[in-house]
Amino acid sequence: MNARASDPIELTIFQCAVHSIAEEMGAALRRTALSPNIKERRDYSCAVFDGKGRVIAMGDHMPVHLGSMPMSVAAAVAAIDLGPGDIAILNDPYAGGTHLPDITMVLPVFVASEKRPSFYVSNRAHHADVGGRFAGSMGPAEEIFQEGIRIPPVRIVRGGVVDREMLDLILLNVRTPREREGDLDAQIGACRVGEQRIQQLAKKFGARALESLVDELLDYSERLVRAELRTMPAGEFCAEDWLDSDGVTDEPRKIAVRLRFDPDAASVHVDFAGSSAQVAGSVNAVRAITLSACFYVLRCLLKEDAPATAGILRPLTLTCPEGSIVDARPPAAVAGGNVETSQRIVDVLLRALAKAVPERVPAASAGTMSNLTIGGVDHRTGEPFTYYETTAGGMGARMGLDGVSGVQTHMTNSLNTPIEALEYAYPFRVLRYGYRCGSGGEGKFRGGDGLTKEIEVLTRAQMTLLAERRRFRPWGLQGGEEGAAGKAWVSRAGRAEKVELPGKCSLQLAAGDVLRIETPGGGGWGKK
Amino acid sequence: MIGFIGHREIAKREKADLRIAIDTGGTFTDCVCLADGQLRVLKLFSTPADPSLAVLDGLRQMGAGEGLNVRHGTTVGTNAMLERTGAQVAFVTTAGFEDTIAIGRQTRARLYDWFQPVPVSLVPKKLRFGVNERVSAEGEALRTPSEEDLAALVKAVRASGAEAVAISLLFSFANPAAERRVEAALLELGIPVSASHRILPEFREYERASTTVVNAYLAPKMGSYLTNLENRIAAQHKGGRMDVMQSSGGIVPARLAAREPVRTVLSGPAGGVVGACQMARWAAFDRIIGFDMGGTSTDVFLADAAAGGAERTRESVVAGVPIGVPMLDIHTAGAGGGSIARFDAGGMLKVGPESAGADPGPICFGRGTLPTVTDANLLLGRMDSASFLAGGVKLDRDRAEMLMSKRKGALATVEEFADGILRVVETEMEKAIRVISVERGHDPRSFTLVAFGGGGPLHACALARALRIPRVLVPILPGALSAVGILLADVVRDYSRTVMLGGDAIGALGKDFAELEKMGAEEFAAEGLKGTAQHTLDLRYRRQGYELNVEYDPQVPARSIVAFHRLHAQRYGFSDAERPIEIVNLRLRMTAEGEPYVPRRHELVAGDGSAAFYAEREVFFERRFRPTRFYQREKLTPGDRIAGPAMITEYTAATLLPPGASALVDGFGNLVIDVGGEVRA
Repeated sequence: MNARASDPIELTIFQCAVHSIAEEMGAALRRTALSPNIKERRDYSCAVFDGKGRVIAMGDHMPVHLGSMPMSVAAAVAAIDLGPGDIAILNDPYAGGTHLPDITMVLPVFVASEKRPSFYVSNRAHHADVGGRFAGSMGPAEEIFQEGIRIPPVRIVRGGVVDREMLDLILLNVRTPREREGDLDAQIGACRVGEQRIQQLAKKFGARALESLVDELLDYSERLVRAELRTMPAGEFCAEDWLDSDGVTDEPRKIAVRLRFDPDAASVHVDFAGSSAQVAGSVNAVRAITLSACFYVLRCLLKEDAPATAGILRPLTLTCPEGSIVDARPPAAVAGGNVETSQRIVDVLLRALAKAVPERVPAASAGTMSNLTIGGVDHRTGEPFTYYETTAGGMGARMGLDGVSGVQTHMTNSLNTPIEALEYAYPFRVLRYGYRCGSGGEGKFRGGDGLTKEIEVLTRAQMTLLAERRRFRPWGLQGGEEGAAGKAWVSRAGRAEKVELPGKCSLQLAAGDVLRIETPGGGGWGKK
Repeated sequence: MIGFIGHREIAKREKADLRIAIDTGGTFTDCVCLADGQLRVLKLFSTPADPSLAVLDGLRQMGAGEGLNVRHGTTVGTNAMLERTGAQVAFVTTAGFEDTIAIGRQTRARLYDWFQPVPVSLVPKKLRFGVNERVSAEGEALRTPSEEDLAALVKAVRASGAEAVAISLLFSFANPAAERRVEAALLELGIPVSASHRILPEFREYERASTTVVNAYLAPKMGSYLTNLENRIAAQHKGGRMDVMQSSGGIVPARLAAREPVRTVLSGPAGGVVGACQMARWAAFDRIIGFDMGGTSTDVFLADAAAGGAERTRESVVAGVPIGVPMLDIHTAGAGGGSIARFDAGGMLKVGPESAGADPGPICFGRGTLPTVTDANLLLGRMDSASFLAGGVKLDRDRAEMLMSKRKGALATVEEFADGILRVVETEMEKAIRVISVERGHDPRSFTLVAFGGGGPLHACALARALRIPRVLVPILPGALSAVGILLADVVRDYSRTVMLGGDAIGALGKDFAELEKMGAEEFAAEGLKGTAQHTLDLRYRRQGYELNVEYDPQVPARSIVAFHRLHAQRYGFSDAERPIEIVNLRLRMTAEGEPYVPRRHELVAGDGSAAFYAEREVFFERRFRPTRFYQREKLTPGDRIAGPAMITEYTAATLLPPGASALVDGFGNLVIDVGGEVRA
């Protein structure tokens, strides 16, 4: 097949094919992984990059990984001279990662007899434990060394053979090595599925044609974004929003943004000047996360079903104060940056955007992933376990539409762990799981309700909560009211009273203790 | 329209009931029967307001008398799902979990759409009820409902005005005692009651509940439709009885279908799959990929006779609702003949999922104004006005050319635009076929593409070449394939149970299987049927989340383990004989074989089809128009061989042979096409 530059038909065919590669990698990962967080909840992303490390396709997985996976490829390529059959592994937030539980693999694809990789395929999965001070590796740490094992870009597979020594080093540092090994195997398998399919694609199109199609695809994404930016009102739009705390002190932390649209240049500048300095707790975001949030918001502004490629970011310039909560430097702890601060960055961007195009922006959604991790030894089997799950809240109301209740919003779209799968896998019993009625903000259009969940642990365990929107509730728009704040309690076995928990904490539970989580509702839209 | 395709070789019984299959479709109701050894076909217009009118009319026109066995493919269930016109369902579950049916899996349908609609649950809040009970993962009853609890529940459900009830308690598959008591109590309401331990005794509470709710949702409507129809048939044809096609590709007696309507949601499409497999098997093709292209969407499926026929899935989603009972794995792509083509804001050509439908329809039908796949085919000379629905719809080429040239974007010619539309739509279909083949470890090169539906035969050769499939089969009577499948399908019932045992328990499954067998034998006996049992297991590596289904031989159970490792390697690229295995589900399939029927194979007489030749016209291939010979399919005879470029037209479809392809009319009248082109297997 021969392709001319700017052939819209070849382009469609290529885009369709390369997107299905990312989806196919995801299917392989999901179906072979061991941990409920990956197999049931699909907390992973798969992507395809060109030889320059530019993302050309991402599966419809987790938006928080969108802007940040290219950094993984760049870091792997910078650190290692990857050869055929090699696979790089990494999780260091300061070298291509986002937070330690997200482990990324990168495989170079050598087409024909090329000396340099023509493509890279990559996948990232959230592992339920990577060691460190808190079971589940999501606790209120004060520096990254307490958060788990740090893996700089290294080879986990060399010339097609798994590096057993490297694998053993990693597995020795985690609480649930057997489950980790199975999940890492699944990630390696998914990389190979991607490689095979790229090779088939290269045969079909020819290496040269592929190169120009990649350029064309990136240009195409850029054109879509620029067309949209031309319709935005010129000017600056500022907003700020707050994180309740950093988990170590009670002090609120600010995120501030200034959006500057230039419709003539079809560009946007995003400046986070005025945001808090990096903090002692774990809610620091590395720049990759901040970029992901911008990527997500731009992508949502497009009316078309546009492919998520590197071209989307071209019209955007981003300024983040160094050493701030939106661009943290080592050795800041970062576990919560990926899951909590990322959501708040989206909230701030939306709040600013609402001043520019009020009718196109929803009120604030839950704004927290309500991360819960529990680890211990399963009394039924004598084996260690680590559990991780986020719980959805309410979606913000939109002009003309109520918010959806109990649904994952913005930077995540993981599924729940079915109760029956949960109780097979862990020594827990779920006592209650349902909507938190009335938690959505009132308004002409109502915010969606959050969820309520009660879990009884059947064995001694360490529990960690990492959640937000206790003090600063999800805001409404155009006169709509705030959604209800998130809450959590623990009732000790055999005792009636409930003890309210702070949003970020870690504590020991005894068999029979019950944890109750209520997630925030979305903000309302318009005066009732 | 009446046709025939051959003779039944042997009359199995002295006096068999006349069997007639009737498939209700959106436009036509197709009737097929075996009479005096011949397969007869009758096509009538459907009667959507009351589909049974066309069914009864069909029976009359087929000359049905006494002792009749009607086999029915129905869209009553599908339509109720699509139009959300099912019953008010009360959902009963373990107290504290009433909302699970609405929450689903917490995900949003569209990742980047801030204005996605609020999903509407089949069960509104006021119809969700909790029972004070709980079973553990190990099947232990931690809490059982009191008689007072049950009485209060019955009272509340009665007061709610529900028209049907779905019960799905947590872990009821592990210990159904409480669910049975709740079921018994609610039966006194006199409305249909569906219980999850009967409908789908498998883990994952949302999918099990959703399946049970769909069953209840359809029960009143399907129950009365099927019962009324069977009664009317019995009244008009003494001793007449009715069976129904299930989504799994097996037939069940109407009485059972009325009780478990969730199993017949995709009744008609399942008939198409069985029909395509059957036609292919007669033509000696055991491994097929089915390709059914209609107006708004395209269905694809894969079947390998050696691996038990068409693939099945337990992860279907119908009209946005998950359904966990086994169905034929029909994958749908949102592109068909009516799909609209447009350039988006970035200049990329998109085809579908928006469709011009029947109204306004493609530009060339006279009212539509947006370019569609059908218009592209017409502009490139790939449609024949005279034979298209026997000239019933006039095709306006000038109108299509004029309106399409206004929307061709940066492309130089309208032909280039039309050619682009076809290549994009073929890519969408290629992607759909990859999902069911390559993604599941099957190499398309070892399959035959079976093309049917209005558009299938037109696009089949291009698609086959893209997938490196060497051969295409266009079966005879492609318009009545579904009815033929329903006529010839086996009677099948599926039973299952989640056990969640370690791999070392593989030798100790006899007792659990015996219970399933007993249930199956009793149900078959009640219908006067004799069935054979097929045992399978869903296995996975310990702690994986998805299972693979393998055969289970009660004599040599350990074989399943070996088969599992092999299948895992085939599908996912790795396996590990040392890794512990989990036995998740036991499955039993009871089958009573359909009437044996082999159509007569005619002698092949070498010919060039010249008797069927009617015109030579210009058709666009590979960037230019080429003179192309047109043939009438009805006039071709076995042994005729036609080389591309050529078009073979018939009442509901047309087959396109590009240059390099050649078709042979086989002994049954099927077109067997060697697609040629650059790649051959």
